[in-house]
Amino acid sequence: MTAPALLVATGITKQFGGILALDHVSLDVAAGEAVGVVGPNGAGKTTLFNCLFGLDDPDEGSVVFDGQSIDRMPVWKRSRLGIGRTFQRMELFEGMTVADHLLVAEQAANGTVRIWRDLLHRGGPTPAELHHVEEVLDLLGLVELAGRPVDTLDLGHGRLVELGRAMMGKPRLLMLDEPSSGLDAEDTTRLARILGETRRSTGVAVVLVEHDLALVEATVDRLYVLDFGKVLASGGVAEVLADPEVRRAYLGSTA
Amino acid sequence: MSQFFNYAVPGVPFGCVFALMSVGLVLTYKASGVFNLAFGAQAFVSALAYVSLVQDGWPRWAATVIAVAVIGPIVGIVLDRLLFRRIRTASPLVKLVPSLGLLVALPQVALIIAGSTPTIPPPAIVGDAQHVYLHLGSVPLSGLELSITVSTIVVVAVLVALFRFTPVGLEMRAVVESPRMTELAGINAGRISAFAWILSSMMAALAGVLLSPLYSQLDPQNFTVLLVWGVAGAVIGRFASLPLALLGGLGLGVAQQVVAGYLPAGVIANGLRPSLPFVVLLVFLPLARQRQIDDPLSGCDPPSSAVERGITGYRSATTVAASEGSVHTVGVWHQRLDALPGGRMTGILTRRPTATFSWVVAVVAVASALTWVPPDWLLTMNQGVAFAVIFLSLTLLTGMSGQISLCQATFAGLGGFMAGQLANHFGLPVVLGMVAGGLLAGALGVLVAVPTLRLAGLPLALATLAFALLADNILFPNSWIGNGASGVTVPRPSAGPVSFAAAKPFFVLSLGVLAVAAGIVKLVGDGTMGRYLSAVRGSELAANSVGIDVYRLRILVFALSAALAGVGGALFGSLEGSLSANDFGYQISAVLLVVVAIVGLGSITGAVVAGVVYTTLQVAVTSLPTRFAGLVAVLFGLATLSYTRHPEGFLDVLSGRVQSVVAERRARRLPGGPTGSGRRPSPPGDEATRDTDPVAEGAG
Ligand SMILES: Nc1ncnc2c1ncn2[C@@H]1O[C@H](COP(=O)(O)OP(=O)(O)O)[C@@H](O)[C@H]1O
Ligand SMILES: [Mg+2]
Repeated sequence: MTAPALLVATGITKQFGGILALDHVSLDVAAGEAVGVVGPNGAGKTTLFNCLFGLDDPDEGSVVFDGQSIDRMPVWKRSRLGIGRTFQRMELFEGMTVADHLLVAEQAANGTVRIWRDLLHRGGPTPAELHHVEEVLDLLGLVELAGRPVDTLDLGHGRLVELGRAMMGKPRLLMLDEPSSGLDAEDTTRLARILGETRRSTGVAVVLVEHDLALVEATVDRLYVLDFGKVLASGGVAEVLADPEVRRAYLGSTA
Repeated sequence: MSQFFNYAVPGVPFGCVFALMSVGLVLTYKASGVFNLAFGAQAFVSALAYVSLVQDGWPRWAATVIAVAVIGPIVGIVLDRLLFRRIRTASPLVKLVPSLGLLVALPQVALIIAGSTPTIPPPAIVGDAQHVYLHLGSVPLSGLELSITVSTIVVVAVLVALFRFTPVGLEMRAVVESPRMTELAGINAGRISAFAWILSSMMAALAGVLLSPLYSQLDPQNFTVLLVWGVAGAVIGRFASLPLALLGGLGLGVAQQVVAGYLPAGVIANGLRPSLPFVVLLVFLPLARQRQIDDPLSGCDPPSSAVERGITGYRSATTVAASEGSVHTVGVWHQRLDALPGGRMTGILTRRPTATFSWVVAVVAVASALTWVPPDWLLTMNQGVAFAVIFLSLTLLTGMSGQISLCQATFAGLGGFMAGQLANHFGLPVVLGMVAGGLLAGALGVLVAVPTLRLAGLPLALATLAFALLADNILFPNSWIGNGASGVTVPRPSAGPVSFAAAKPFFVLSLGVLAVAAGIVKLVGDGTMGRYLSAVRGSELAANSVGIDVYRLRILVFALSAALAGVGGALFGSLEGSLSANDFGYQISAVLLVVVAIVGLGSITGAVVAGVVYTTLQVAVTSLPTRFAGLVAVLFGLATLSYTRHPEGFLDVLSGRVQSVVAERRARRLPGGPTGSGRRPSPPGDEATRDTDPVAEGAG
């Protein structure tokens, strides 16, 4: 890896009651790099995301983003620092339109609540913000649906909106938690294509938690395998997937 | 030490009664997901039955059995069947409003059924209440204290046996531990829930019966206070643990006597005691939230849809347009969207017929007020305007931001008192006083918000309830604030040569204040902040993760809302000429929330109509013969029940009906033409959605 490390997590440990969800997990992502995290259900992938993102408080370990420790940072600050994420269980703003999803994220990424401007009726989005929203709508192929409330979208488009929302404010790291779950083959292919285009055009780094190995192989440069809260193996995609222990723990159990 | 003992022992009977409430609250909360604030009313109903029966000559034991073992459970079962069972998975607001409504309405309904309030002082269930039967150390124990303590011990023993040794008790314990796990294990949660309701209603009933002799007369208010103590005990039990709730209630009973004993009598002791629940809530609520995560399956919660959660809230102009399938023309943003292929406008956004209608009604009302309307009607209308301002504060807070406050009346009172005090002591013009009152209420809002707003939903509602109680007991009696029972005079304002002392000019001024308040709410709702708030309502988690500082946003809205309420209160005070603590007691906050929720939190029109409805109700209560005043309460109760079917509020329902009729007509006039609304289909089998047509927002 020649690129500087963007995210470095060291020794993340998290216990829920009697369950050791994460056991000294370390993970690093270089700028612009795409890293996959795979593992059976309950391995701790989502918990790892939550610890990196500030939704869970790890019992041990530290997270450094862009050379800066973010351990004590609340979620919204990490987001503004340049981390975008999606959720395994979709979290859309019910009742809002597709375009407003992106706009809200763009404005929030840019900073403050502008109550005085609101009261002076100057609280609208800036041309630059609108432009970025249009760009992302275009990239995701959501232009036609811009004015639709998200509640009326199918799952595939819902996941795209979530992805788009995470991409607003030009993050340097995207964390995607099983973006293809619930999608059919066609939607998944489209997702893979969009992910590829996004990475090419923005150079954003990606951490991808995913069960669909085709999508993983098409997207990531490196792979971590998590099992029972421990990193079982990590390294290049092909070599990790060839590892017999990985095959037994993961592939064997899902095959 | 013996001093402590002397203070603590008399606290035990109180503690017992509180503990019964706390345990009952936790039991139903865990078994059915509803935090039943109507518990206080249920306690009152049984106490009323008990005292009435004794007055009619029944033996006390028989009256106790009827009140506790028959009436108590029947009320509980009826409420569960009719109401609470339907809202298990609804949003905190939809769960809370009915129980608040019942807290107010149920005692009135019971009084109507009973025919009259009993005149005898409530007796203890056994023995002579006042007679001292034995001494514990040097502490005399009266019949009342003994009967309370002994019956609580018996009840707890029975409960323990039930939970330990009977299958249904074991199942219930399982439900309390982890409702989800139990469902997975195939236990019929409905049956368990019904059983929990019976059991907890009996506890509320017993608490009511036991408590009643402590007062010389039955008054629903005392039972609401009892409820608040019970809530504090339940919070100590972290909403989850029955033994902890029991100990919590008991401990609070003892603590309040000890506090009262050690501190000098007077304002501090009298004030500190009732504010103990607030302190307890502030300390223990954050812990309670932690505990909820400990359910081993809580990480696997099935997602509840917005529809299930009954998310209904303020709709900005964009959302209204979007849900009608047309892209709105407000602002640059949407003009640009229109240029996009998918954003084609499906027709110029026609002025909704209901919006026009509201404007016509408003103009006619104002014109009449200024011309032919008699003075007392004008006064009522003006009260409606002042309350509309207060209701707007709830439109902002609850409708837009989804937070539930049970202390809006407190803020209104503080604003009013402040305006009056500043005018009386410092000669500050009242108009400035109103602004100052609003600012003060806003500042206090921040003080309340900072410790409580990490909690959303139910915990916040409880914390604000406790704050309202604290204000009633400490702030309002203070001569620098509410000046106790004598209250504070608030003069009518004048600006230079223009005096607003007369009724009509003051009405015009009030309209001006309302317009400004409505303008603020609308600008906030349709601006960036409104978009943020609507995101937070949709998913707090996702809002945080796109970079919205949800906590700060909440504090901001809470403060702004408190300020609006303060201005409304000041306006009301100036209208009436004086204000006293009774005008804005904590129960008023509950009524205000219920009224505006039933009318509609989704629009500015909703707040205005709520103002009219509320003052009309008040006139009805005070001017009708007492018998009918009770009927108003019954109506109120029925409206509360219907609220669970229409959490979007009746205005929405009405205007939805009107709009579909109009749309039909239009479609008929234009054969083959588009109906102009690509309304999404409503999800099957659910009426409780915000899927009806949006209400007119013309009044903004
Ligand atoms: N909030 C929580 N409370 C208790 N246990 C949890 C919580 N979140 C996750 N867990 C547990 O941690 C383990 C890892 O879960 P998760 O990170 O969701 O796995 P994955 O995403 O790999 O499927 C599971 O056993 C899960 O039950
Ligand atoms: Mg997961």
